[in-house]
Amino acid sequence: MMNRRNFLGLSIGVAAAAIIPANLSATDFRATKPKAWTAKNVNDAITEIFGTSNTTVSKKVKLKAPDIAENGAVIPVTISTKMKAKTMAIFQDANPESAVAVFTVPAAGIPDYSVRIKMSKTGTVTAVADVDGKLYSTSKVVKVTIGGCGG
Amino acid sequence: MGKTRIKAKLKKGVVTVKAMAKHAMMSYDEAKKKGKTANFITNIIATVNGTTVYEVSTSQFLSKNPYMKFKFTGANKGDKLKLTWTDLSGATNTGTGKIK
Repeated sequence: MMNRRNFLGLSIGVAAAAIIPANLSATDFRATKPKAWTAKNVNDAITEIFGTSNTTVSKKVKLKAPDIAENGAVIPVTISTKMKAKTMAIFQDANPESAVAVFTVPAAGIPDYSVRIKMSKTGTVTAVADVDGKLYSTSKVVKVTIGGCGG
Repeated sequence: MGKTRIKAKLKKGVVTVKAMAKHAMMSYDEAKKKGKTANFITNIIATVNGTTVYEVSTSQFLSKNPYMKFKFTGANKGDKLKLTWTDLSGATNTGTGKIK
């Protein structure tokens, strides 16, 4: 097995900021943090992914999601930050498991991601950004009306 | 499982990609109700000229035919973006799109 020093030496051309060795790619979050994907509780899932659930609520993490989602199967969510985040993640507390997605921000990547998620009922969506080992978060309640007219 | 649709536009040095993968994204609960096996995309990775520009690990809670939007820098018009997803069953699918 190639030792770490040689491996990092091969990463020519990667931007100077936080060089993330390839073996910390997002692929590994499913493989190396299996408990994160079965954790019911949002803080447990955050701890599994990031090592701690100690987050600072910050306006610098933006979370866009509808106040009321008429269709709980398709809820558009956008998370972004202008900070140099190396990982961003979405959690919610309305489903049997809380982790939704974990984005690894590559060197050329911009932490601004949109996806569509499912929520089985009204709940709180939380976005977390890892900026140099410090966690920042923001949350928003999304009301889910299944099948009925809004409200 | 059909093609992933990709739209990639370069403006002021930033490429914005809108993509939609074709996948039933069947969660464990949905699978139980339908008597089928749960299967959903678990990883998505996009590269341009071999450089990773987008990487996400995902759960059963992304909507069916998952739509995604992401941004990155450092690419040029005409470059090809490759988007690959892997699902719980181990199947993969790669779509490509040209940056316009």
